[in-house]
Formats: sequence, C-alpha cells, structure tokens
Amino acid sequence: MLTPGAYEDRQSLHLRLLVMQSVVVGLFFVLASAFWVLQVVQYAELSDRSERNHLRTIPLRAPRGVLFDRNGEVLVQNRRSFRIAIVREQTPDVAGTIQQLSRVTGVSIAEIAGVVERRRTDPIFRPIPVIEHATDEQVAAVIAQKLELPGVMVEQVPMRAYPDGGLAAHVFGYVGEVQPGQLQRAEFSGLQPGAIVGQSGLEQTYNSSLMGTDGNRFVVIDSRGREIEELERENPVDGRRVQLTIDIDMQRALEEAFAADGFDGAAAFLDPATGEVLALTSLPAYDPNNFAAGISSATWSALNADPLRPLGNRLIRGLYSPGSTFKIVMAIAALEEGVITPETEISCRGSAVFYGRSFKCWKAGGHGRMTLRHALEQSCNVFFYTLGERMSVDVINKWAGRLGLVGMTGIDLPQEKASFIPSTEWALTARSDGRWYPGETVSVAIGQGAVSVTPIGLATMMATVANGGTLRSPRLVKAIDHGQGWEVVPLPAPRSHVVIDPEHLAAVRDGLWMAVNTPQGTGTTRGRIIGKDVSGKTGTSQVISNDGKAAAQASERAAGRDPRIYEDHGWFVFFAPRDNPEVAGVVFTEHSEHGYLSAPIAKYVLETYFAKKEGRPLPKYKSAVVPAASAVPAGGARAGGGGGGGGQ
Amino acid sequence: MIVERRLLPHLDWSLIAAVLLLTLIGLLTIYSVTWNIQAGQPGAEFWRQAAFIPVGFFVLAICVAVDYRALTQRSPAIFAVLLLALVAVLLFGTVVKGSRRWIDLGIAPLQPSEFARLALALVLAMLYGDGRRSARSLGELVFGAGLLALPAFLIYRQPDLGTAVTLVPVFAGIAYMAGLRLRWLVGALLMTALLSPVIWTYGLKDYQQGRVLTFLDPYKDPQGDGYQQIQARVTVGSGGLVGKGFRQGTQGAYRFLPEAHNDFVLAVLAEEQGFAGVIIVLGLYLFVIWRSLEAARLAKDRVGAFLVVGLVSWFTFQVVYNISMQAGLAPVKGLTLPLMSYGGSSLVATLAGFGLILNVRMRRFTN
Repeated sequence: MLTPGAYEDRQSLHLRLLVMQSVVVGLFFVLASAFWVLQVVQYAELSDRSERNHLRTIPLRAPRGVLFDRNGEVLVQNRRSFRIAIVREQTPDVAGTIQQLSRVTGVSIAEIAGVVERRRTDPIFRPIPVIEHATDEQVAAVIAQKLELPGVMVEQVPMRAYPDGGLAAHVFGYVGEVQPGQLQRAEFSGLQPGAIVGQSGLEQTYNSSLMGTDGNRFVVIDSRGREIEELERENPVDGRRVQLTIDIDMQRALEEAFAADGFDGAAAFLDPATGEVLALTSLPAYDPNNFAAGISSATWSALNADPLRPLGNRLIRGLYSPGSTFKIVMAIAALEEGVITPETEISCRGSAVFYGRSFKCWKAGGHGRMTLRHALEQSCNVFFYTLGERMSVDVINKWAGRLGLVGMTGIDLPQEKASFIPSTEWALTARSDGRWYPGETVSVAIGQGAVSVTPIGLATMMATVANGGTLRSPRLVKAIDHGQGWEVVPLPAPRSHVVIDPEHLAAVRDGLWMAVNTPQGTGTTRGRIIGKDVSGKTGTSQVISNDGKAAAQASERAAGRDPRIYEDHGWFVFFAPRDNPEVAGVVFTEHSEHGYLSAPIAKYVLETYFAKKEGRPLPKYKSAVVPAASAVPAGGARAGGGGGGGGQ
Repeated sequence: MIVERRLLPHLDWSLIAAVLLLTLIGLLTIYSVTWNIQAGQPGAEFWRQAAFIPVGFFVLAICVAVDYRALTQRSPAIFAVLLLALVAVLLFGTVVKGSRRWIDLGIAPLQPSEFARLALALVLAMLYGDGRRSARSLGELVFGAGLLALPAFLIYRQPDLGTAVTLVPVFAGIAYMAGLRLRWLVGALLMTALLSPVIWTYGLKDYQQGRVLTFLDPYKDPQGDGYQQIQARVTVGSGGLVGKGFRQGTQGAYRFLPEAHNDFVLAVLAEEQGFAGVIIVLGLYLFVIWRSLEAARLAKDRVGAFLVVGLVSWFTFQVVYNISMQAGLAPVKGLTLPLMSYGGSSLVATLAGFGLILNVRMRRFTN
C-alpha cells in the first residue's frame, strides 16, 4: 500500500506539523500574556481613561436669588443666556479650534486664547467658557459648524438681569467669577473656578443667601461629543429670594432727579424708626448687566480709569467735610450738655474773635442776636463758633458718635469707610505734638477742619435726630425666603440709645423746619412741601480753600478742563414730617456749589413717598438748575477765608 | 454530490462546533457594539452578519461534500477563474474607500480576493503534493512563488496590501511541508531584512509608513494615526478581568474605537467580557488551529495534508496578526479577525476553507 519512501515522508511530515503546532501554542501564550498585561496589570489606568472618554460632568449653574423691592416688585432676576465653551480633551488642535471659533463668532483670537490660557491648569475635560452671553447669531454659527469645531459646546446658563440703565447699581453691586484668591476663603469653600459670586454691593454682602447651589449633569457622550444619555442629575438649588427695603418708585425718582439736574453725588432715604433704606444712590454708576455678561476687559479698564470713579460707592466710601450740616450735632450736644438752653441768645456781628483769631460768618453784616432756632434757620456761623468755644472737642465727638457720625454706620454694604470726628485722644496718638488746639474746635463747630464724614453717616445722624435718639444701622434687607416663605429679618438692637430732652428736640426740629419753610431759611423753601413739614439743613463741603480756588480754576480752564471740579459740594440733610418723621436722609450733590441745590432732589423723592403713601399719582420732576454756563461765581460774594467761612 | 453516509462518522463535529461557536460569539459582539440606544435595536451590520452565517455553513457543507481530490485535480482551472475574477475587479469593480475590491453580482457584492487563498491552496497542494515533486529544488520553489505572485500582485493593485500579504503564509506553509530547505527560509528572511530599507522607501506608501511609525510611538500623533491604537489599548484594558458586561461597553458603542465591529471586534469582546472572555476566545481559536493541523496529520495523502496546511497557515497568520494588533503588539492594519469580524465574503470564504479541512479529514480512509 505504501509507496517506497512513504514512511520516511510521513515521519518528516509529522515532525513538521508538530513544529507548527508548537509555534502556534507559543504564539497564543504570548497573546494571552499581552491581554493579561492590558486587562489586569494596566486595568486601573486604562479603565480610568475609558471613563474619562465617555463620561462628562456638566455643571448646572444655579440661578441666583431674585431681589424684590419692599412692595414685592421684582428688581433683579435671571434670564437665560448662552455661553460657548471649549473642552480641550476633545479638541485635537486647540489653537486651530480657537482660530476657527474666532472666525465663526467674530470674537478676537486673543480674547478667546486669553481665557483658555487663564484656565490652563483646570482639568482638560472641564469645559472652559470662552464666550459668555453669546448672541443668537454666534450660537447659530457654532451649531452650524459643529463638525469643524470639535470640543466646542454651547451651554445655557442663567444670567443676572438688572434693571436697565444701572438703576440702583450701587445697591445691587455686581457679580463675577470667583477670583483665584477668593477660593481660599471659607465663605467660598467648595466652589469650582468659574463659579459666579457677588463681587460688590448686596450681591456680595448676601452672597451666601443669593448664590444657591450649583448642580451637575452626569452624561454619556460619544466620540463626537454628542450626548447619548443622562446618567444622573443633581438639580441646582436656586438662591434665596430676598426682599429689599428699597421702594423702587422712590429709587427711580431719586435717580431721575439727579439725572435731570446733571449732578453726580450720593443720597440715602431712611425710615428713621427702623433704619430701613428706602432709596439709595451713588452717581455716576455703572451697568451691572455688563458684569453679569462677563465684563469685557475694555469696559473694565474704562470703568477703572474713569476719573469720576463710577465703581466707588460715594455714599459709604466718600469722605467729605459735613459743613453746616454738622451744626445739628452741635445744637443737640450744646442743649443736652446744658451749655445753652433753647432760649439762650448769642449775638452775631458778622465775625467774632476766638483764641486771638477772627472767624467770619457767611453774612457780612451779621445776624444780630438770635436763639438756637433762628441760628439753625439761618445757619449762623458765629452762633455755632460760640458753642465750639464753650464745649470741648471730646464732648462734640461723644455726641457725634451717639448720633451716628463716628465710625461706620454698619449698613449691609461691603467696604464702608468710617466717618471721622476728632478728639484729644486721637490728637494724642496721631499728631507729632500730641496736642489738640481749642481754636480747631471752633472750626469743627461748623463742620470744617479735621472732620470728614460719609453721606450715609449724615443720613444716619438725621434718622437718629428724627427718632429722638435711637441710633440704628441702616439696612437694605427686609426679609429672606429660606424656602418656607418670607422670614422677616429681625430688627437688630440699636447701636446706641439716648433720650433727648423733648424740649431740646423740639427746638432743633423747629430750627430745621424753619430752614426749609421760611423765606429767611437757607433752604430758601426749595425743599418745602406744603403740609408735609419737611425739616432740614443745607451745607457746603469745600473742595479747595476759597483762597486757592480762583487760581486752581484758572489753571484748570487754561488746560482745557472743566473748572467745576473745584466747586464746593452741596449737602441737604432732612427729615419729614417734622413731628413723627417717616423719612430721613441726605442728598449730596458734587460740585453743585450750593447746598440748597440738593434740596429739590430730596423734595421730589419725598413727594413721591407721600404721593405713593396717600395713593395719589406720582409727581413729575422739573429741574430748576440753570445749566452752568459760567461756573465761577463772583468770589467776593461768598463768605470765607480765615478759619473757614463756608456753610450756609 | 450527496455525501456518502458512511463518511459522516468521520466528520470532525468538535471542529465544526468550535467554528460555529466563534462565529456566534462574533455575531453577539457585533450585536452589542452596533446597538442603537435611540432605536432600541442592533445595527444593520448585525442582521447582515446573521444572514451570512447560514450561507457560510451551506458553502461549508458543499466544500465537505465534494471530494477534495476532484477539486485539486481541477485546481488549474479554478485558479484561472480566480485570476480572471481579480482582473475583472480591477477593470469593473466598485470603489470603496479608495480601493477597488468588490464586484457586484446582482444579488450580493462579492470580494474575489477573499477566495484567492482557497484557489492558491488548491493549486499549490496539487503542485507539491501530487506525484514526487517537492519544494527542495529552487526551480520548483520559484514556480510555486510565481503562482503566489500572480494573485498577490493583482490584489496588491486594488490596492489591498493586507489581503495580498495573507497569501504569503499559504505558500510558505505548503512549501515548508513540502520540504523547503531551512537554508532557503533563512535566506529569504535575510534577504527581506537586507532589502527592508528599499522596501520602506519604494515599496510602502506614506500612510503605510505612518502606520508602522505610529505603532512604534502612538503618542506621536494621539489624535491622528495613533488614535486607533491608543483607543484599542483603552478598550481592551478597561475590560479588566471579567469585563463591563454585555452591551455595557462604552469604547466601541460610542465610537471612541473606530472599526469596532470589524477589525477590532475582539477588543470590544475584551471590554465587555474581560480577560475571561478573551481566554475563552483564544482557547477556541487555538483548538480550531490545533484540530485542523491534526486533520493534516491524518490526511491520507500529501495533497490533502498540504491543502490543510496551506489553509491553516493563512488562518493562523491572520488570527495571530489581528489579535496581536488588538493587544497592541502589531501595527494597525486592516486585517479582520476570521470568523468573528463583520464581513460576508470573508466569513463565507473562511467557512469554505474549513469545509475543505473537514473534507480532507473525513476522507482519510477512502481511496
């Protein structure tokens, strides 16, 4: 059967087959080992990479709490906004994608690349929002070119929406991305870079209530970044609703009047019984909506470079000499300390000599003999110089403190500055010779010299005078909804409480009423509201001494700039009605020259208050300010010189 | 063509079972990876593959039924038909992804290159197995190499270098069994090594060079050429010991790994069934190869033994290369995993090959 040689042939065939079989077994052993290395030895690393491939955590930004006014009208809310983000992990060529995105959206390459650069230490799978508040056109363009823009996504986020035109900007403040330095602080613990927090105003003070808790979506995506399914969702928790003490109609009236008169400045209207702020402004302001949309570097630089400093809140951070408004503090101090009675008469001959130096009254011929009521009505300097001679600076400091003019008022806005009234103790430490000179007290008596106060300090002083001696911190929040309906924020304990003798109080209030309501009054009836007994006091705050003013203005004019920056600031402090006051406050107009120019603004806001209270139609504002064609008045017409003569 | 009943007990049922099992595992993996979440059903690839499995086994049955000697005796004619088909593809074929591989037969497109190895194995088995020829002499060797070169060149021109290369093991396996002297083998390897710079420069296209470079360092271009290799590693590795579970894989299903149902079907299985699943599949392949070589050992004549060795050599080469590639041991090349990967022509041609292997073993006692 077998051919010759077939046996050997078969032997060699079997041998060769055995070799092949052995080689195959060897190869399979190598293959199995390779899988062992990948699937067992490197499992942890590769499993992690597989997770990162297809799992995404997409943050859901919590809407911040809505702000209401005291009557429940919505002031600040949230609207839907689109933002465009880049996920670097899904972007093969980040630079190319940025270039493409710039071309599609019209945003400069530098701007987009700058954002990406700032966030380069973030994990590469986290979306970097490069265009906040994208327009519909930008969103449409990005979606249309999705294939050329790998790793670019469009997210919908709630965005803060403030009233148009920056109304009450300094009340609300603004929001912005949490800064790297802030992340270290306890109040911001647990936040991711890019979280939105309050950076100014109430947004900052009440950030923890307003912020809410951001949520997350955990989704599965495919290799093209398309979402396949949502695995889990942690819903964001909305920020708390907050009701402010602000009355939006008064707020509007206030800013409308400032705008109509063309003044910058600051103002606050308080409820003297509670310290609640009914209206508050600082001008110029900014539009918080610009910040909500992610402020552009150009806008930010412009705001910071503006010499008028629109980002600063003058009401709580501006320090000015109170001028004649300080006479109210002097009056109460002198009465309560028994230095004078309401009937004490002091004679004014146009000037007087104290400690060997002549101090002038603003009225050249003098006011003659007068009591406190008329001294307040006509703002007689000599009368108050005399009180300054008869009281120590420490007594004045004590009463200024009791009325709210020393230190911070404690208003619930960030970065308030302290008002300052001098004392011998202060002089001891702050001055090289450690001395306080009695002659200085005479200047302090009319709000000049080493006296500097914030407008909110003066508003608080007027509220304290209005309520008879209870010093309360102004506050802007009435109630917070923590989830179970409105919870009224309890009235905090007063900072100080003194019972001012009713007779003394009546004398001061009469004087202030007369200042506004009589023809002799320095308010020259500009603040008067028939039947409402507005009581108040004007004052001027010098920017430069009267002697230096003309020269400074001339050089300013020569340089082609507005010489008005050397004009005095005007004060009007007030409460109304005289008996049982319901509103007290301050209006501060920058470079208005005359305190009485602040009065019409206050009057208009008060009219709005009373009209609203009594259900009448709200008034309309008519500006009485003549456009300042010639900003420099005849210098000689004004009192001054010597130890300080401002103050009507 | 009815198989004689007395032959049926000699049919290798365990080999058939192992082959069937591998095709079904492949089908289930395709089911899993093409699953469409939105539609709630597997992709069209699954249904096509499912339809080709019975077709393939029908062809396998035919290849068992006809006596292999009848085929080897007609192998010159079969080989000629194949060459004509390959020429026809070059002239009239359909272009897919830059290659002309398909010819439309009306009912289904056919990929003649998949059947080239069958024809080559038949004609080489005939050449070296019939009579007293051997591959000992250089002349015989060159003649056999010439038979290899004809279809290989035509396929290379499609261009489909991968499939062309798979013809080489058919020749090498048969030549080795036919007594190819070791010095020729060593000489050929040496020659290849010496010529490799020339082949590199003139023989390989840019993208082919790129594949080799990428294999050496996939992170050189992690989003481009290296992407597939990196993702294959991630896919396999993330499966761990027992895998993520059926239809729980993410790498293939969400398209992070391209060609998941095709060249990288084992990677998907590794992801979903883990190292345990891989070992079962490797074991089945090893069993199939081992068992097929047993058929060569049992063959009643040299023609049968050489035919089996030619087919097994190809099968082993492609299985080992594909799995090496999925394990990250070889550069990414468009070679499918026989029996498991998606592809109708490939499956039918492979099953036809196993039909011939079974054929040889079944007829070991016949005259």
